[in-house]
This record gives sequence, C-alpha cells and structure tokens, in this order.
Amino acid sequence: MATVQTDQVTLTIDGQSVTVPKGTLILDAAKAINIDIPIFCSHPKMAPVAVCRMCLVEVEKMPKLQPACAVYVAEGMVVKTTTEQVAKYQKGVLEFLLINHPLDCPICDKGGECPLQDQTFQYGPGASRFEFQKAHFDKGVPLSDKIVLDRERCILCWRCTRFSEEISGERELALIQRGVHTIIGTFNDEPAQSNYQGNWTEICPVGALTSRQYRFVSRPWDLDRTASVCPGCSMGCNIQLDARSNKIGRFQSRENLAVDDGWLCDTGRYSFPNFQRLTQDRPQIRRDGRLERVTYDEVIAFTADALKASGQLAGWVSPAASNEELFLFQRLFREVLASPNLDHRSAVLEDAEPDDMTLPIADIEHCDQVVVLGGQDVIDAAPVLHLRLFKSQRKGVNVLKVGAADVKKALDAVPAEAQGVGILATEANKKAAVELQGKLQKKVKGSVRRLIVTTGPNGRGAKDLGILPHRGPGYVSLNGKSGKGRVEWPGAGVKALYVHESSPLHGFVPTDAESMWLSALPLVVFHRFKPSPLDEVAHVIIPGHAFTEKDGTVTSMEGRVQRIRKGIDAAWVREDWRVFQEIANHLGADWEYESVEAITGDLVRALPPYRAVNEGARVLWSESR
Amino acid sequence: MALAKPTVEEIKTRAARYPSRQSAIIPALWAVQHEQGYVTKESMGEIAQILGLPPSLIEATASFYSMFLARPEGRHDVVICVNAPCMLRGADEMAAYLGQQLGVRDGETTTDGAITWHSTIECLGACGGAPMMQVDHHFEENLTPERIDSIIERLRTEPAPHGPKPEKAAAVARPRAKRTQN
Amino acid sequence: MGLKPVLTKDFHTENLEQLSVYERTGGYAGFKKALEMQPDELVELVKKSGLRGRGGAGFPTGNKWSFLPKGVYPRYLVCNADESEPGCFKDRYLIEKSPHQVLEGILIASYAIGCNLAFIYIRGEYLPQHEALESAIEEARQAGYLGKNVLGKGYEIDVILHRGAGAYICGEETALLTSLEGYRGEPRLKPPFPAIKGLYGKPTVVNNVETVANLPHIVINGADWFGAMGTPTGKGTRVWCMSGHVNRPGNYELENGTPIRELIEEHGGGVWKNRKLKAFQPGGASMMVLLPEHLDVGLDFDAIQKAGSLAGAGAMVVMDETTCMVDAARRYVKFFHHESCGKCTPCREGTFWMSNLFDRFEAGEAKATDVDLLLDIGYSIDGRSFCPLGDASTWFPRSVIKFFRDEFLEHVSEKGCPFKKMAQEAVA
Ligand SMILES: Cc1cc2nc3c(=O)[nH]c(=O)nc-3n(C[C@H](O)[C@H](O)[C@H](O)COP(=O)(O)O)c2cc1C
Ligand code: SF4
Ligand code: SF4
Ligand code: SF4
Ligand code: FES
Repeated sequence: MATVQTDQVTLTIDGQSVTVPKGTLILDAAKAINIDIPIFCSHPKMAPVAVCRMCLVEVEKMPKLQPACAVYVAEGMVVKTTTEQVAKYQKGVLEFLLINHPLDCPICDKGGECPLQDQTFQYGPGASRFEFQKAHFDKGVPLSDKIVLDRERCILCWRCTRFSEEISGERELALIQRGVHTIIGTFNDEPAQSNYQGNWTEICPVGALTSRQYRFVSRPWDLDRTASVCPGCSMGCNIQLDARSNKIGRFQSRENLAVDDGWLCDTGRYSFPNFQRLTQDRPQIRRDGRLERVTYDEVIAFTADALKASGQLAGWVSPAASNEELFLFQRLFREVLASPNLDHRSAVLEDAEPDDMTLPIADIEHCDQVVVLGGQDVIDAAPVLHLRLFKSQRKGVNVLKVGAADVKKALDAVPAEAQGVGILATEANKKAAVELQGKLQKKVKGSVRRLIVTTGPNGRGAKDLGILPHRGPGYVSLNGKSGKGRVEWPGAGVKALYVHESSPLHGFVPTDAESMWLSALPLVVFHRFKPSPLDEVAHVIIPGHAFTEKDGTVTSMEGRVQRIRKGIDAAWVREDWRVFQEIANHLGADWEYESVEAITGDLVRALPPYRAVNEGARVLWSESR
Repeated sequence: MALAKPTVEEIKTRAARYPSRQSAIIPALWAVQHEQGYVTKESMGEIAQILGLPPSLIEATASFYSMFLARPEGRHDVVICVNAPCMLRGADEMAAYLGQQLGVRDGETTTDGAITWHSTIECLGACGGAPMMQVDHHFEENLTPERIDSIIERLRTEPAPHGPKPEKAAAVARPRAKRTQN
Repeated sequence: MGLKPVLTKDFHTENLEQLSVYERTGGYAGFKKALEMQPDELVELVKKSGLRGRGGAGFPTGNKWSFLPKGVYPRYLVCNADESEPGCFKDRYLIEKSPHQVLEGILIASYAIGCNLAFIYIRGEYLPQHEALESAIEEARQAGYLGKNVLGKGYEIDVILHRGAGAYICGEETALLTSLEGYRGEPRLKPPFPAIKGLYGKPTVVNNVETVANLPHIVINGADWFGAMGTPTGKGTRVWCMSGHVNRPGNYELENGTPIRELIEEHGGGVWKNRKLKAFQPGGASMMVLLPEHLDVGLDFDAIQKAGSLAGAGAMVVMDETTCMVDAARRYVKFFHHESCGKCTPCREGTFWMSNLFDRFEAGEAKATDVDLLLDIGYSIDGRSFCPLGDASTWFPRSVIKFFRDEFLEHVSEKGCPFKKMAQEAVA
C-alpha cells in the first residue's frame, strides 16, 4: 500500500485531479493544470487579501463561494470554477467594477494589456445596467515626476499599497477615505519619493497608475519586445525593452527570481531616454582642428595606423560594454598593440577577486545576518537590492545597515551563533568589507560571505576579462608585466588614448587633471554611442552601438552572465566588435569572427567558467580552479 | 498650528500604554481634535513624527473614520439621526424643523458660528428615545419642535465644550462626501 | 418566561455606577469568587452554562475561550462596545447604568483565559459612557481589582479603554482588532481566527458587553441556575432594544424564549396610535423582516432563525401600517452604503448601486424592472462579500421585496411614495 505523503494534497478542480504541496492556494493549484481563474487583487509576491472578489469559485461542502486566491487546498477538496453560479457571479462582480469605471480604454495607456479589459471581454456582462452618475474622482493626478494616477480607473485592488507596504516597505501609498469614496494617494498629496514607483504601473491591473514618460506613446500591440538586461547598474535586473518604430518606449521588468524578483528600480527603468539616438552620426577625423566626416574603412585604417605610431598608449572601456567587446578590446591591446595600459575604472580601487561574489543575491534571504556596510550608499549603487533586503527582513533576516567606518559596530552586533552572515559593500569600501569578513569568520560559527557591488552593468565582466592594468582574463597575474591604471595615465607619458563607451550612464568623465591632459594628448580615439563633451578633444570619433542596440553578454555583480539583445536597430553603425577586429586585422592580425556568438565561443574556450552564459547562471571561479 | 505641549504629552503617554505605538493613532487624533477642533494634515504630520510612523498611515486612518473633522466647524456639533428606527418616529420632520430654525442647510454652520448641523444615516444608538440628536456628544432624545427650540437657544450662547473652535465660521457647506445625506 | 431582570436587576438603584453602591448590591463578589477558582474551571463553568455571545452571532462563549492555543502568551481580551447596529442601544444602557458590572465581567473573562491586558473598544459617539467606564476603571484600580497583584492573589490585569471614531464596521471583530491596532477598520481574512492570531498577532477573545455582563452572575449563581433560564439552545436572558411604532420603546430584559408578542404588546404597550402592526424586525438593520404571523415566535436565536430572520444583536424595530417598507429598506441600504469600508468590490459598489436605486424609488423615477435588478445586485453581494456587512446589506431589502413587492411597484406606478402621499392628504 502506498504511504500517504503528508506534505502533498490531492484535490479535484473542474473534474481534474491535481496533487500539490500542502499550503498551496486553490488559484495556484488550478494554474498547475492550466485552469485559469480570473483575478485582480491577487499577486504572487504579496499576501492574499481577497478584496476584489473576482476569483470566487465553488468548493463542495462550503455554502459560500470561496476566493481561490486566499483559500488553501485541502485533501479531497472539490472545486468548480465554471458552474452557472460562478459564471453569473463573475458577470455581476465585473458589472460592479465597471459601474464606477470611466471606460476610456481608447485613450488609456493600459489598453491592450489590461486585465480588466480582458476579463470583461471573457467573463463580463454584455452591457451595464447602471444608469446613475458614476462616482467622480480626479483623473491625471501627478503622484510624482514619474507617475500619474487616474483615480476613476482605480479598482481598489490594493496591489500598489501592498507593494508600498510589503515589497518596498516605504509605506508611501495609502488608502484614503472609505467605502465608495476610497482613493489611493500619498500623504497630503506630496510627491512620492520612492525609487520603485515604476513597479506600481506594472502591477496595477488597470490603467490607474501609469508612467508619465510612456503616456500615450504607444499601444502594446505595436511594440517590439526584446528581452535584455537593465543598463542601470551591476545588479543585472532583467528587462523587456519595448520599442516602437525603432524608438524605445519603456523598460519593463522581466522576472528573474534569482536576480530582481520581478522588480526594477526607477533609476534603471527610467534611464531609457539616455539610449535614444538623436542623430545619425558618422565616423569623423579631426583635420586642421576640425572634425570631418569619413567612411568606416577610412577611420579604421587611420585609427590603426595612428595607434601603432603613437608609442605609449592606453585603452579605457566603459563597464557597460559587452563581454564580447571587452574580450576583443583586451586582445587588441594586449596581443596586437602590445599595450598593458587597460582599465574600465574611474578611480583607484582595491583589487578585484572572485571572492567578491561569493554571496549570490538570492542567498541574502537565507542568511541570518546581513551587514550592509555603507548603508544607503550600497542601495544607491544597486537599488533593487533594497527590495531583496526588505523581503529578507520580513522573513526574519537581521539586516544591519552601518556606515563604512563602523566595522567594529557591525562586528559587535553580529552574534557568535550566527549561521550565515552576508556582507554587502560597494567597491569603494571593499577593504573594510574584507576586514569585517576576516574578523567575523573568527567570531561566528557559520559561514561569512561577501558581495561587492561593482560599477556599471558589466563592471564585473570587465574585471573577469582582465580590463585591468595588472590582471589578465580570469584574474591571472601578469607576472611583472603590469601596466598603468587610469589615474596614473596623465603622469605616465601616455601619448594616445582609446576610449570606448556604449552607455551615457557609465561614460568616461574626465577629472580636472584628466581634462588638462586630454586636451594636450596627441591622439584621442573616441568610440562611442552618441555625441558627448569628450568629442571636443577627440581626434577620431567612431560611432558605436548603445547598450540597447547590441547583442552580447554582461556579467552582473554576483557573477551572473546574462544576454543583452538588440532592441533598437542602428544598422548603419558598424558593430563595435567588428571595428576592433578590423583595427586588429589592419595591423596584421587574422581574426575571423563573423558573429557575436563566435566571440562568445572563443571567450568561453579561453575562460571555461564563462560557459555559465548558456544558462544565465553565475560564473563559479572556485570550481574551475 | 503646532500642537500644544499637553497634547504632545498625552499622545506620548497613550502610546506608551499600548503594546504597539501604532495603536495610539486614534487616541492621538482625538487629542488633536480635542485641542484644535479639527485635524489638519499638518497635525497628522506631527502625530506621525511623535509616534515615529509614516505620515501616510495617519492620513489613511484619520480619513477612514467619520468623526474626525477636516475643517473648522461651529462651536457646537448637532447631529440628527435619520436611520429607519428614528425615521419611524418622525426624524425627517425634526431634521427639517431643525434646518428651518437654524436657517442653514444640512452640513452647514449657522452664520453666528454657533452650530454646525447635519443629519446622519449612521445610527447613534438611541433608537429607544427616537427621534434623537447628538449635541456635542450628549444625546437629546424624544425630540419635539419645542425641545429643539430650547436646545438651540441654549447652544447659541454656550461656549464650545472643548478646544478653541473658531469664533465665527462662515456658513459653508461641508463637502464631505463620506456622509450620505438623504 | 417574561421579564427577568438579571443584568438589569439593580438598575433602579441610585448611583449604581459608583463602586461602593455596586459592591453593596453584591458587585465584585463574582470576580472574587472567580479568583479562588482555576482559570480552566471557569472556562468549563461558562461552557456548561450554555452562554452564547450577545454581539450578534450567538457563538458559545466558553467554546470561544477554549479555542485559544495552549501555552501561547500574551493573550488579549477585547470587550466589544462598538454597538452601532441600527436598532441597538442595549450596550449603552448596560454601561451607563452599571459600568462596574461590565468591568467585572471583563475581569472574570480575562482571568479565565489568562489575559493580563484587556481592552474595551467603545464607539466614538458614546462619550458619556466612555467617561463612566473610565471612572469605573479608576475606582476599581484604587480598590485593587486591577493592577499588578489583584487583591493579593498574584494575578495581573490592566484594562485599556479605547475610543472608536465613527465606523460601524469596527463592530465586526476582525475590523475591530485592525482598528485597535491603529489602522483603518477593515476586516481581516479568517482564518486565522482571532483566537489563534488576533490583536498584535496574539491569541485574542472578542466578547460583547452584554456577554461579559452575564459572567458575574454565572460565577455567583452557577451554570445550572443560568441553564434553567431560557430555551435549550438559548439559555439565560437578553436585553431587547425595542424601538419604532410602539407605545413604550426602550430596553427590556426578558428570559429567552419569551414570545415576541409579549415584548411588543405587553412591555412595549402595543403599537402606538391604536394602529395595526405591519411588520417588525428583530436583530437590527441587518436582519430580515418578520410579519404579524410571527408574533408568537419566541425571542431566541434558533426560533427566530427558523422563522426566517436572525436574533442578531437583540433589536426589535416595530413598524405600523403606515410604514413605507421601501423607505425603511432605503434607510438601511443607505446606512450600509455609508458604512461599507470599501475593501471588497461587491459591498463597496453594490451598496452604492442599491442606494441609487432606492433613491430612485423614493423619487418616483424607478422602473418596474428595478425590483428584479435589486435582487440581481443582491445575488452578487450576498455570500460574496468579504465580511458579513456586505452580505447583510441585502437581507432586509430582499425580505421586504419578498413580502412587499407591491409597495415597490406602487412607487413605480404612482411615481412616488404612496404612504407619503397618504400622509400629506390626511394633513390636508
Ligand atoms: C458588521 C458587523 C458589525 C458588528 N457589530 C458588533 C457590535 O457593534 N458589537 C458587538 O458586540 N458585536 C458586533 N458584531 C459581532 C462581532 O463580530 C463579534 O461576533 C462579537 O463581538 C463577538 O462577541 P460575542 O461572542 O460576545 O457575541 C458585528 C459583526 C458584524 C459582521
Ligand atoms: S491604483 Fe491600480 S494597483 Fe493601486 S489600487 Fe488602484 S487599481 Fe489597484
Ligand atoms: S537595480 Fe540596477 S539593474 Fe536593477 S533596475 Fe535598478 S538600475 Fe537596473
Ligand atoms: S463587505 Fe463591506 S464592510 Fe465588509 S469588507 Fe467588504 S466592503 Fe468592507
Ligand atoms: S483575486 Fe481573489 S479576491 Fe481578488
């Protein structure tokens, strides 16, 4: 006889038997066998509230219809989701939701992707029998410079307020008034300050909360959707890039439970206008003080020859380049130009090493103590981390935010019995983080791991791939053949500088000292996505692709290698990697890459841990060493 | 208008008694209304600060309950119940009489600033003495036109029961949608 | 059967609200006796007495107490003095006349369930009653009935008096707890029930004022004495709040099972103005209407339910032949619309819609099909709402449609209220 597994429950939904773990909601059990129960208020990341009453179903032996989003399965339960009673009620509740809804779908940003619209179509009444004045509310209320609220469209599903309470913990949005007069708002109508407001627009099941930047820009059905990664920071949040007529309309979240948990921060989400191309510019070479348009072939030949002839040269790639670009760039410098002066950083920082990413983002939830060394600085460097930290806190993780100088305070606060301790810090505070880690390892029973927040969406890749003066790909030592880092260049007799940048968010911003030096440099090659102040000192300008215009991979701060994809087509711009290859080949190399994939393949051969790219997994250096 | 010291002290004392200081929100709102006659957003902000809670929470709570006033009213608050049990015993007629004697409509304040009146569908718990009205938290039951007259006469000269209610509030309608007039 | 003053026995005594007077009538003897017993014995005693909650649902009090999970502390007792059900005014009366009796009941209940901090949630409008309880608590504290070491018996109890601020929904026990925690008074999902996760997430018992006021008497006189009163499933007495078209409205404490006829005709002095009885409504605004044919039904949870209504919180609203049933229903619907917390769709939107429809009947602009539209709206509210407030908003109007559909249709055909017209003609 089969033993009864106590942690599994078998029930029947619409005649089908399904076995699910104990503690599963009826809604999710139905989903498991592709039975769709309509919902509004239910959200997988938030505790059930059962306020919208859309999901009511029949459960045998229960006199009333039950909310599938809030009732847990029980052994032998018999659920029916399509009975006459349910169908009639669904019409009724949709009719209720619509009596005070403006039905301005044709001018609503949510039109085409609106659950209320969809469900009305599928389950709703044909026509409304409501013949009275609708309750009137304010439309177009600016909640902040990012979000606008239409209170007439709001169906009071509580998702946004629950986000504010359960997900971000900021409690900025609240329900105000009561009954049919209830509205959503901020205290005293003050502008919302949260850095996570864009998420409200995504979870709102109607067009009540919308992005000001996106308003009436496009209809969902004429959007081109591309899966990519946020260019904002090293967190590596997954995005969907929605474009129309080859212009970016918005960044939407694309849930990756291990990384972003389905959320984006506003810094990243609303960074997209930076990637809007304004002009169709061409390669240029400065002749007699003036920039002149040339062809790609001309600029490549000129650049190659000029670099070759210039003597001491240095190369800087922004931490927003793809791994494939980084890989070729460092090959160009190390193998072809024989120059060790490579960097992607803007300041002097502690040495990077694989140990900087021993704590995966998702594991923060499984620590019992997490020290955020540098407090808000860390959050500012990777804002979605806050949501993970808050979630962890709600699960009982003790999160301690201390100043970067408070190593002792943190050390004292973590109890010796701690099982798993995590340390988060920015690159600037790595030294303190390592010190704290060392001391904690002596003090506590359990493991102590750290995660150093890097700079830029591919700062980690730049380190992994050796865009450093003293480390080659895979952190190999250069055996005394180290070059100079960026801060040393002005004093090191460098005669030529090649700057590559594909994101205005992480560009080469010269310090005062560098500005003087730059203007006196004999050769500045500037390979970039769009015109910038640096154009003024450049001798050569090579247009390149933006982060959002290319295929490739990037590595997040926790070492996760993820694909970025071309969301915007700028075909007249030659791919950056191709430019590197042509410069190299002009100088006698015989590279034969024909696609990004070919470079990725080579990269993985050179650095086996990077095979992680195929699963979007983390690079595990320790296992391969 | 910053809260008076005793009000702040009272809020702190109340907060200390409860297992959670959040429980002190309603007592705090009462303390403020007692002092100032109504509760402004500014005071809500102050309550939030004293209790160390997000201000949105205070507004969310304050706006839920029908007894917290958002703006100044007359020195005396007169509420007449018109729910069914009172209706059965002539509450509509009494409400009409009251409005007529005061010379202002439901929800308004008399020109001398003495009385703000409104009818309510929220049963006040005195159906046995219907028709009834609540005058500054005291119930006046078994109303007759004569009783209403004498109550009004008394209120015209009596000071406010508590708090510095403004001496003269204009005869303005209260746009408080929450109260369903009938 | 008939009048049976137990809770109200000494209400004629002057200054009963003062501790010394209350003690002279035997007050606090129950609490003292309780302190000599084991808490578990008390729970058993109350179970055995058959006392059922007087707040509306009629849940057996002793059983409710015994649901508290073993070994989980702190626990809280909350006395529900939010009384806001239209037609009810008994808790106010009980508090006003004898605040110490209520307090004594709270102390007994607290001791029985192992609670060291109890709360009284009193509706905001009951300010004088708030003051009465406040001074009762102070007096009791001075006398040692409250404190760290009650009467030297090592029991600790404090009582916090918490004032509501105008929201009927806060009488619903989970909304009450939410409100007591400082939030908007919105009901919570059940399960978990308050007994498991209540106030501040701790095991909590919510009991009505009248329920706890019974406790001193049960402790003093025993379960058998209590069980000897009333009906097999409705022991003891209840304080009925009579209002509407009777000669002597007011509170009457009657043994359970007393016929409704006796309450209305004898104690209430019959229908006023020598008019005929048209209908009456037990329980309060929420409950279904009953007709003269139901006059011989006993005042008892089960009997009233059998007759098609509910005893609820012990209201008795009497309506004479001149009553417009549509207008009566309209008032209640407007009440529920006003008091809907707005949390769930059916109640928030449905009561708004019904309220609009009733206004249309009153204004004489309704269509005949509106009657069935009301029933249809009711179909999507009743049993679908988050809490009983929404459900209950449909009960009275639907029962009125059932018995008095013609009156709705007359409002349509006469383009207005026929009763108002009649009254106007009479005056003219
Ligand atoms: C909408 C609504 C309003 C209620 N109002 C009250 C009330 O004012 N007083 C009360 O004691 N119970 C009220 N109740 C019942 C309470 O939820 C709860 O059942 C009761 O307080 C338990 O006490 P008891 O067991 O002593 O009856 C209300 C219930 C609902 C659904
Ligand atoms: S604004 Fe949107 S998310 Fe917020 S409650 Fe309204 S419908 Fe729900
Ligand atoms: S945390 Fe970083 S990667 Fe994530 S959305 Fe914000 S900016 Fe983008
Ligand atoms: S039924 Fe009414 S009172 Fe109850 S939760 Fe829903 S909206 Fe609120
Ligand atoms: S989805 Fe279940 S009640 Fe809203």
